[in-house]
Amino acid sequence: MADRADTRDAALLAPIELTGRGFYLTVGLLSLLILWGAIAYWTQFDEGLGVTGLHQPVSWGFYVTNFVFFIGISHAGTLISAILRLSKAEWRRPITRMAEVITVMVLFIGAGQILVDLGRPDRMMNIIRYGRYQSPLLWDATSISAYLTASIVYLYIPMIPDIAILRDRLGKRKLLYTVLALGWQGTEHQQKVLNRAIAIMAVLVIPIAVSVHSVVSFVFSMTLQPMWRSTIFGPYFVVGAIFSGIAALIVAMLVFRKAYGLHGYLKPIHFRYLGQLLLVMSLLWFYFTFAEYLTAYYGNEPEEMHVFWAKFSGPFWPFFWGMALTNFVIPVLCLVRLGRRTIGKVLIASLSVTVGMWLERFIIVVPTLSNPRLPFGEGIYFPTWVEWGELAGSFALFALFFVLFTKLFPVISIWEIREGREVGLKEVEERLLTYLPDTAEPRHAEPERGW
Amino acid sequence: MPSPSGGGDMRRVTGAPDRTVRALQWAMAGLAVLFIGGIVVWIIHLIRTAWQLQDVPSASIGISLVAIPVFLTLLGVILYVFWGLLGDRGER
Amino acid sequence: MALWGMVIDLDRCTGCQACVMACKAENNVPAVGAKEAHRGRIISWMQVLTEEDEEHPGEVKRFLPRPCLQCDNPPCTKVCPVYATYRNPEGIVAQIYARCIGCRFCMAACPYNAKYFNWYRYQKDAPGQNPDVSVRPKGVVEKCTFCHHRLQKARERALAERRELAPGEYVTACAEACPARAIVFGDLSDPGSEVFRLARSPRAFRLQEELGTKPKVIYLTEGEGRG
Repeated sequence: MADRADTRDAALLAPIELTGRGFYLTVGLLSLLILWGAIAYWTQFDEGLGVTGLHQPVSWGFYVTNFVFFIGISHAGTLISAILRLSKAEWRRPITRMAEVITVMVLFIGAGQILVDLGRPDRMMNIIRYGRYQSPLLWDATSISAYLTASIVYLYIPMIPDIAILRDRLGKRKLLYTVLALGWQGTEHQQKVLNRAIAIMAVLVIPIAVSVHSVVSFVFSMTLQPMWRSTIFGPYFVVGAIFSGIAALIVAMLVFRKAYGLHGYLKPIHFRYLGQLLLVMSLLWFYFTFAEYLTAYYGNEPEEMHVFWAKFSGPFWPFFWGMALTNFVIPVLCLVRLGRRTIGKVLIASLSVTVGMWLERFIIVVPTLSNPRLPFGEGIYFPTWVEWGELAGSFALFALFFVLFTKLFPVISIWEIREGREVGLKEVEERLLTYLPDTAEPRHAEPERGW
Repeated sequence: MPSPSGGGDMRRVTGAPDRTVRALQWAMAGLAVLFIGGIVVWIIHLIRTAWQLQDVPSASIGISLVAIPVFLTLLGVILYVFWGLLGDRGER
Repeated sequence: MALWGMVIDLDRCTGCQACVMACKAENNVPAVGAKEAHRGRIISWMQVLTEEDEEHPGEVKRFLPRPCLQCDNPPCTKVCPVYATYRNPEGIVAQIYARCIGCRFCMAACPYNAKYFNWYRYQKDAPGQNPDVSVRPKGVVEKCTFCHHRLQKARERALAERRELAPGEYVTACAEACPARAIVFGDLSDPGSEVFRLARSPRAFRLQEELGTKPKVIYLTEGEGRG
């Protein structure tokens, strides 16, 4: 039994066993971008935040935008993986591992953005020593720590049986896999422990994930600034996070599908379902955005309208309408009929949403700061090479983490695929039978009383 | 019950001696205890600071009422998995 | 316990900016240079804002000297993650440069834009500095402190001379410098002080009062008001 299954999933172990030229090229290119980012940050660390385009009043710009953006993407993974696991959706099996990896890797990048944004990063321990829980930044610190811990646990535990496969089959890195496999032998007791732990984590990780992006939104909505002070921000940001997360997940899946030849595992049906989810999130995002802006517009409060018009027709109109185009128009057009060319449409929609959600974060952060309440003078924000480099380096670092992960561990969960083959069909059939109406004889032959 | 059969054969793990591997594995568990324990201690430290300075202690207490149980639950899951998987090896 | 506040009479203000210059000299506020000023990085603890006439654009309708308004319900202190800014018992909102991590959350939260940031190390060489005021390093936030160092000096002098602090002994540099005497500074909790009286003038108003920040810089509107 083991031998037959072995060769069937050889494609999943191939990236770990062999390394091709494409890998080195990719790593090389990513390293160049990371180098740009590193030089950019070193310049900033050395000279001060003045090397960016920030000023008074726009004292938050790219870095805070990136922070919200990357933390938002982290909702891909764990949330999708957890929800699909809990709803016993069989099509999740080749997806969950990548989703969970995205979350863990991108959380580091997201949290790192705040550290990059600090004027005194050498004093970052002050947050630990002197933190104030009245400040939303401390809520962020706590919530993101919880989410990072939970995501690492939620990535690691379902990986254990796969690590055991590597321990037994792969020639190299024996010690690493043996240690990490925690003595997994697939015994019944061990399986019970594992499944129970995964089930608990799947439930636990969802409220933690919701709390993370809610507190990120509270950084803005707890201030008194026009168009930040909005009660809708918590749910709005969570919806946006799930939206951008699904898009990022689809892009990652398509990249690795091409790079590692996983067409047999990541099939058009998977992208169709994810595409439908993406469509739903696009509509939901549009609804929240519409409600937010209609409320501001109808209220016609002068300070809010300054910011509103700045976004609608003022200096920020390209970003605002670009956001509407890439977050709503293009995805809906692409995803509403997923019959043919599913993969192409889904890819375009996902790339579009990734750009669009970054624009959305930017549109939230900068225009409000750019239009202060007092006659301070409107602030125009032009990011410098430092901020562009930091953005590029951040993306590249995330991608590098991901790529290195796929060299050490299977990017698709092998044991879950096998589980799907061996017991998935039977389980689903049993479940379907419970949905069907009962065919047994009624116990009482008489008509019901009380009619 | 689905079978996430990973290892297959019951051959003894070759390579590194059993004891080193075990030590590293329990060290991982120890790290988890230290890390999450450290976070819990940190949150309590922040509560104490806010209390001493009378600086909105309610915020610290309120958040810790949610955060500390969450972290302890995570630690519980981690240790449950470690104990459940590692502890099983002696039982065969 | 004193409650330090300020009243600025907009009818007297001529927009001469003597207050701005006095503040910069007194508090070692760095001159950031023309290039940085062009990028929007001027640091000006006391800043004279100009309100333009909507019907005649370009015509200044009102000069508004704006120090830190030292709110009694400050939105900036709530969001500081490290106790680098807080309201002290006498009503002054402190700014502790040694603690600040430069996250600029307080800057984003202040509805009056009263906080400024050291985007570079602006004070490498600064001749003629006031030795009573610490020079700020790069990467921290700074703002008007109602010349708190003058309060400390006055208190110490009074203590050495074994007497109470006399009213008028502690004044901010801007109040002292204003040639039109538009800026009055004092103890809002002292019923005999001029700020106490002026704060209750029918001409008095507070900026963005509806936000609930309870600023302790009170403005007197031009003209006769309801008086």
